[in-house]
Amino acid sequence: MRRPWRLAAEVSALLIAVVVAFPLYWMVLSAFKPAGEIESSEPRPWTLTPSLDSFRRVFEQQEFGRYFLNSLIVAGCVVIASALIAFLAATAVTRFRFRFRTTLLIMFLVAQMVPVEALTIPLFFLMRDFGQLNTLGSLILPHIAFSLPFAIWMLRGFVKAVPEALEEAACIDGASRTRFLWQILFPLVLPGLVATSVFSFISTWNDFLFAKSFIISDTSQSTLPMALLVFYKPDDPDWGGVMAASTVMTIPVLVFFVLVQRRLVSGLGGAVKD
Amino acid sequence: MKLAPRLAVLLAAAVAAATACAPQTSDNSSSGKDEKSGTLRVWLFQEVNNKPKEKVVDAALADFERAHEDTKVTVEYIPVETRAQRIKAAFNDPESAPDVIEYGNTDTAGYVKDGGLADVTAEFAAWDEAKDTDPTARQSVTVDGKVYGAPYFVGVRALYYRTDVFDELGLEPPKSLAELASTAKKVHAAKPHLYGIAVGGAYTYGAMPFIWANGGELAEGKGGSYASAIDSAAARKGIEAYTSLFGDDNCPAAKCAGMGGNDTVTAFASGKAAMAVGGDFSHQAVEAGAAKGKYAVVPLPGVESGSIAPAFAGGNNIGVLKSTAHRTLAVDLMRRLASKKAQGELFDAMGFLPTFTDVRQQVAAKEPFVEPFVDTLAAGTKFVPASPAWATIDSSQVLPTMFQEVVSGKKDVGAAAGDAARKMDEAFGSAG
Amino acid sequence: MRSRVRERRGFARRSPRPFGRSSAIPWIYLAPALVVLGGLLVYPVYQLGLISFLEYTQAQVSGGEPATFQGFGNYAELFGDGEFWRVLLATVVFAAACVVSTLAVGCALAVLLTRVRAVPRLALMLAGLGAWATPAVTGSTVWLLLFDPDFGPVNRILGLGDHSWTYGRYSAFLLVLLEVVWCSFPFVMVTVYAGIRAVPAEVLEAAALDGASQWRIWRSVLAPMLRPILVVVTIQSVIWDFKVFTQIYVMTGGGGIAGQNLVLNVYAYQKAFASSQYSLGSAIGVVMLLILLAVTLVYLRLLRRQGEEL
Repeated sequence: MRRPWRLAAEVSALLIAVVVAFPLYWMVLSAFKPAGEIESSEPRPWTLTPSLDSFRRVFEQQEFGRYFLNSLIVAGCVVIASALIAFLAATAVTRFRFRFRTTLLIMFLVAQMVPVEALTIPLFFLMRDFGQLNTLGSLILPHIAFSLPFAIWMLRGFVKAVPEALEEAACIDGASRTRFLWQILFPLVLPGLVATSVFSFISTWNDFLFAKSFIISDTSQSTLPMALLVFYKPDDPDWGGVMAASTVMTIPVLVFFVLVQRRLVSGLGGAVKD
Repeated sequence: MKLAPRLAVLLAAAVAAATACAPQTSDNSSSGKDEKSGTLRVWLFQEVNNKPKEKVVDAALADFERAHEDTKVTVEYIPVETRAQRIKAAFNDPESAPDVIEYGNTDTAGYVKDGGLADVTAEFAAWDEAKDTDPTARQSVTVDGKVYGAPYFVGVRALYYRTDVFDELGLEPPKSLAELASTAKKVHAAKPHLYGIAVGGAYTYGAMPFIWANGGELAEGKGGSYASAIDSAAARKGIEAYTSLFGDDNCPAAKCAGMGGNDTVTAFASGKAAMAVGGDFSHQAVEAGAAKGKYAVVPLPGVESGSIAPAFAGGNNIGVLKSTAHRTLAVDLMRRLASKKAQGELFDAMGFLPTFTDVRQQVAAKEPFVEPFVDTLAAGTKFVPASPAWATIDSSQVLPTMFQEVVSGKKDVGAAAGDAARKMDEAFGSAG
Repeated sequence: MRSRVRERRGFARRSPRPFGRSSAIPWIYLAPALVVLGGLLVYPVYQLGLISFLEYTQAQVSGGEPATFQGFGNYAELFGDGEFWRVLLATVVFAAACVVSTLAVGCALAVLLTRVRAVPRLALMLAGLGAWATPAVTGSTVWLLLFDPDFGPVNRILGLGDHSWTYGRYSAFLLVLLEVVWCSFPFVMVTVYAGIRAVPAEVLEAAALDGASQWRIWRSVLAPMLRPILVVVTIQSVIWDFKVFTQIYVMTGGGGIAGQNLVLNVYAYQKAFASSQYSLGSAIGVVMLLILLAVTLVYLRLLRRQGEEL
């Protein structure tokens, strides 16, 4: 490509990056602005008197550390469990031909279409009957269920991309089916698992709905979004607190992203290397 | 796959006899037990700055635990934003349910209908402090003549205005609603970058005084059944008065139609408005803004010069859950949490106005800022219909829609009020 | 690539797979997924369908009154309400606009990513991932603050004075659309970029040597090769954008001036869940499910006719 063109492309990429990042910058900025400056008629893209008050209000909450840990546990369990279950299921639907295969695939797609808000009532009773209310299990189980269909759907491409010859070679070498599955196929699909994990991680980490519907009487089992909702008071929302709590909530996800960024790209690319 | 036949059976049963396989419900009758020791659970709302509230509550709990042997109390502070899910869930799962809860007073009728709150009429009548409870607060815990809790604090709105702007333009705080409108327009004409008075199309509680001051009612009811009165001539006059404040001569419809209560207070606090209807609870937000030190508060005037418009008496109550296994203890705890002493301390800690008239007078003497709010309360306040349908009307935004239709010119007052009345009656009808 | 797919299918048919003989194996692999999905998705969805045929409010949930069978009563009430149809139309148009914009922005930026060196690429990627990582509630709140007529910087920068974005029906929808695109284009961008990276460089070079324009390379070379990925991102976008809830709820104050910005999911919430009329809300949920199902099935069928395989 010619020089001026590339320069133009790079400049526009940087400009777009600035525009896209601006709301994030505004969020962090508002978290540091002293109360009263967030909604002033002179909106300035900087603050001369940065204040940690909003962050203090976030961290001073009852058991904030506990919430953080709970969020990590829930997201961690969901990511691992859904990755393993989805890997098995994706293998089944791509490397085998059997009756109802297409039907199942469509079912996995349909499963994502259910409006989650509508399902909280039946799920609530289900959790109650299993005695899971007020436990982290009541968050982990539904989140696994809601991440699975998408994970299976995404992983199909990765499993498909592993050449069949490899499977035959393993068979001839006398490897058992289980060995092939876990020692050969699994490592090859790992980048794909990273990519799908990003989705289950984000949707679990950012969930408010289950967190406020199923954790009723035991705040020691609450997750981070509860620490954010405190600031949305109907008559008197505390925007500084909202922004500070959001910043605190977004940082771990960003860290996670940066860590897997390279793998994410190479992983997602695998989906088309068919 | 075991699932398929099971589903088929269930589905067949659904068609055959719907009640036989109805989706799960919960048995929410009272437990019938009244244990005299054990652990009681309390849910209170978590405030943004919760520490002072915790102190007041802990003091009341310490007294309670001293007075009853072998009892313990655990308190949880729940975010207000999640209260609907939490409390409904508590009604549906008595296992997780607390014994005593704090709840918003507009939710009373709904919770009673849901069968969640215990009737404490007898205990409330026997409580010596209850005689000083102000009548509107008492009304806010009463449904069909029965009492379902103790008022905890009240929140009421009055008129904030900018002293510097009024001084500069030689204006006086308005004495009547007509004067309010003309003063607002004068300010906006002189200072076009200011709203005369910030009003919001979604600010129901700010608009209600206009309806009440004109002699209108939201609904009229007897014996627990209500009929909408929002399209009566008097109420329409109030709607007219409120919506006439939207316009390029005061608060442009394009900006103000979508505003809620908090937006109008923010506009005032940041110096964008010369007046606003704000609550005693808005004090801190205004103090943190550009208007700090340049404002004062007076009661919102009524139609007659010098009168005070009836305000909406918001606030929270403390109630006992029907499913409690410690009824006597729970009622005692309720009384201690909402006692005169605790409410006085709560005011010192959080600035929440007490529900006892005498305690309120005492704190007003200490803190001049609350005087206009206490005056407003003393002049008589009103409450939303004590019907479970109110929750429906509120959440389906019947009144904001009505105001917004008028303000944006989609409908005239008569048509919008007529539609709102129809929707309200529908809700009253289905809630029974 | 399509020919390669065919070839492989043929191969699979001729020689039975070494590990694929037993028909029980795939079901064993599928078992954990089916148990979880059956218990936590299928069963609740079945309950949802059941509730939509009953009279079911908080009184029934608490066990105060028995649930009574209503037949299609809830659906009749829904379909008889003019507002439902208005909201349905708005939802479909709005979701379609969101999907098209998200895909266009995402694909364009993905191509842009392949044209720049590491630093601008990393900057754009990180900005996108940041937008993706932000909780929807916060994203909506921040956008609202940015576009506030009195306190927001956007009107200052654009010189719009105190224009209110949320007052007009279309301008409010536009604002929400911008936020939705902002938080959902990164998924498309990253996925499509990854796909382009996987396309052999020689193919693109050959096309460039032939003197094909950028648009033409995209249209005739990249798009067909990326089709499997595009299918996934399109279906996902349709599903996500049709169910938009938080953005509308937060940014238009629960449905806009006099309910002008309602979409189905918010409508269901306003109408039903906020006031405990679960049966009506369930009926809306079922209707949404059926619409999404129809859209997706039609789309998959079209693909199939063009020779793609699931």
